[in-house]
Amino acid sequence: MKKYLTLVKVLLINSFGFSVLRTKARHNPLEYLKPLAVGALMVIAFAPVIFLYVDILNRGYDLLAPIGLQWTILTLGLVLVSTIIFYFGIFYVINAFYYSGNNEFILALPVQAWQVLGARFTQVLFYEYLTELPLLAPPLLVFGLKSNASILYWIYALLGYLLVPLVPLALASVMALVVMRFTNLARRKDLFRILGGVLVIFLAVGLQVVMQKSGPNVMDAAYLQDLLTHPDSLIHVLSRYFPSIRWLALALAYSSTLGAGLNFLAFSAFSIIAVGLCWLVGEKLYYRGLVGSGEVTRRKRKYTGAYSRLLKASPVLLAYLQKEIRLLLRTPTYFMNCVLSIFLIPIFLFIPFFLQTRSEAGPLPWEALGQNPHFTIILLAVLSGIAIFLAGSNSITSTSLSREGKHFFVSKFIPLPYRKQIQAKLLSGLIFGVLGNLLILSVAAFLLKLNLSLIGLCFIVMLVAIIPMQEVGLLIDLYHPKLDWDQEQKAVKQNLNSILALLLAVLLAAGLFFILIKWIHSLILAVLFMLAYNGIFALGFYLVLMTKGIAQYRRLEG
Amino acid sequence: MIEVRQVSKSYNRGAVKAVDQVTLSVKAGEIFGFLGPNGAGKTTLIKMITGILNPDAGSIKINGQDIQLNPIKARMQFGFVPDDPNLFLRLSGAEYLNFMADMYQVPRKIRLERISMLLERFDLVEAIGDSLQSYSHGMRQKIVVIGALLHNPPVWILDEPMTGLDPRSSFALKEMMREQADSGKTVFFSTHVLEVAEKVCDRVAIINQGKVVFCGLMEEILTHFQANQSLEKIFLELTGNEKISNVS
Repeated sequence: MKKYLTLVKVLLINSFGFSVLRTKARHNPLEYLKPLAVGALMVIAFAPVIFLYVDILNRGYDLLAPIGLQWTILTLGLVLVSTIIFYFGIFYVINAFYYSGNNEFILALPVQAWQVLGARFTQVLFYEYLTELPLLAPPLLVFGLKSNASILYWIYALLGYLLVPLVPLALASVMALVVMRFTNLARRKDLFRILGGVLVIFLAVGLQVVMQKSGPNVMDAAYLQDLLTHPDSLIHVLSRYFPSIRWLALALAYSSTLGAGLNFLAFSAFSIIAVGLCWLVGEKLYYRGLVGSGEVTRRKRKYTGAYSRLLKASPVLLAYLQKEIRLLLRTPTYFMNCVLSIFLIPIFLFIPFFLQTRSEAGPLPWEALGQNPHFTIILLAVLSGIAIFLAGSNSITSTSLSREGKHFFVSKFIPLPYRKQIQAKLLSGLIFGVLGNLLILSVAAFLLKLNLSLIGLCFIVMLVAIIPMQEVGLLIDLYHPKLDWDQEQKAVKQNLNSILALLLAVLLAAGLFFILIKWIHSLILAVLFMLAYNGIFALGFYLVLMTKGIAQYRRLEG
Repeated sequence: MIEVRQVSKSYNRGAVKAVDQVTLSVKAGEIFGFLGPNGAGKTTLIKMITGILNPDAGSIKINGQDIQLNPIKARMQFGFVPDDPNLFLRLSGAEYLNFMADMYQVPRKIRLERISMLLERFDLVEAIGDSLQSYSHGMRQKIVVIGALLHNPPVWILDEPMTGLDPRSSFALKEMMREQADSGKTVFFSTHVLEVAEKVCDRVAIINQGKVVFCGLMEEILTHFQANQSLEKIFLELTGNEKISNVS
């Protein structure tokens, strides 16, 4: 246990960068203010969304209180947070368990597999507590304050907050442990690490689909009626993905009863047992999946003079772009965090549509959309919105300098003008952005049976929509690159630049939609407006990149 | 040639002077060794010469091209071997060499000739198609050296180039450095290994706490500090106290 706790301490200090901060602050005490300033910025940036969330919860409470269903907001919060933790957990867990730079060093230490796994699990848990904060704290607070809850409620709420991530995280961990155990058999480790990561995510999606299919159809009127008349059954329905949540929901809803205590005990015991089982699986599988995962086998084939076909000349811009793309695709952490989301988010978005079964006769709900007079405008707006979101969230450009890390010096000494380096980095983001657009567009075209000219129009509007997003990401990274890291995941996962880029993308998109919905009702005007709005930003940001951006690149030091 | 004039670089708002008004001139046709203890400012100066760091003051010219004013022309003049050879490990050897050759715009025919010659010399032919991740430290060092030499640069800048090389490759590199200097090129390298400096260098500079404490011919240094003293003793004496001695 002592070794486990020591590992937890070291991993937390290392991953949150406390020592680095202390060293920097020794020379300049103002360094201590930096994380605070970033935190404040995040709070300010997310404040509107949080206020909206709290407002919805508030109204929800008032609306449901007269029929005695006010605790639904708690259950919804718990389900939401568990689902998000589960999906985020998969990424966090794979990154922390398998892609950490210091794994080989830790393997050489005299510690048991469960101690390392447990420490990594705890490290991820701390990140999940941060993820949980904006999602679960509001419903707990709203319910507690509005219902004048007893002290017991607050104790259950606090302990529940700490325990909620355990089950989804244990589930994500076990899935990762099993898949990675078998992908470690392969010779091309990096490739199989990537495939393993993708497989775990698809298993997770599959699990959700199976759960959804096996449950009752919540849109069925008789069933809804039954739910409203038997309040507790709603808890059961909402919490069917993570059954232990129901105990916590019941404990919180009826906190002052004896049953609440029993429910809370059941919830705690289940959570702790889940973690115990997960660590037990870890003891058996973790090292088997990890040992040798860093080694790369050389080919048996020898090149003796016949290697000339491997040596090709390319124009400089293309050569730099190729390097960017190869590293993105071949580095598992970068692939998982930057590339995969482009393909996964559209799949997640469209799964519900494919799961809808045709009821008797008549078109599916979205097929009727085609009758709406504003259909094309809505379609263009929604598709641009998704494209903007994908472009903002893939973090290819917003971490393009950060990813170079301590090897950024190469970009400084090669005789390639900064202008071209910036253009190549931008192009790498745009290429993946266009691929994402094509995927969304093909699914939309299939579902909505779009004609070719409309597909072409959508493609152009979506293309122009993603350019400013990629540019703004690159600008952010140019001004605040995170070059000082010891593990690849710190460059992409623990990098605020990607969040900032996403926020700016959301703001730009919000401006676009606001004007579109408020004032524009004709298709031609809408298309022209979308092209002009995004085009102006694209041009503006490009000019900034080519002037201030280049000057900033020059100032940066490797 | 390399001309460094009054170059300074400090960190933490001037609190730490990493390089303090250094002036050096490395001529064509010579091998110049740059010595100093850990943290003396060797890598900082090399990074400023190669344009990776911007100096606070002073100027640096490589073959007459100012690294600040004409960065691209200046960078074309040199080939650089950094002290960390773990670059682009997810590329294969061939992809890395192609990348470097493309950056320096080496035509395909010429790159083929040079790469074949250098791969043979460093005994790396068989590994060319493999991922750099599968290379040992020494092999990575060799591929980085090859990458730096593809454009046949008139100036070589090498930061601790012998680290991790086996005796054979180390010998090959020293031999190549000599050949380059004899053909009129400039070779500037930093090292901790005093024996290497003693055997290979025409001139050396010793840097300590950001200042050049000695700069001169190998013979001069040995004559200056009694002929029977080893370079190691001289190095320890010079870097142990701050006595500034310049006989060049």
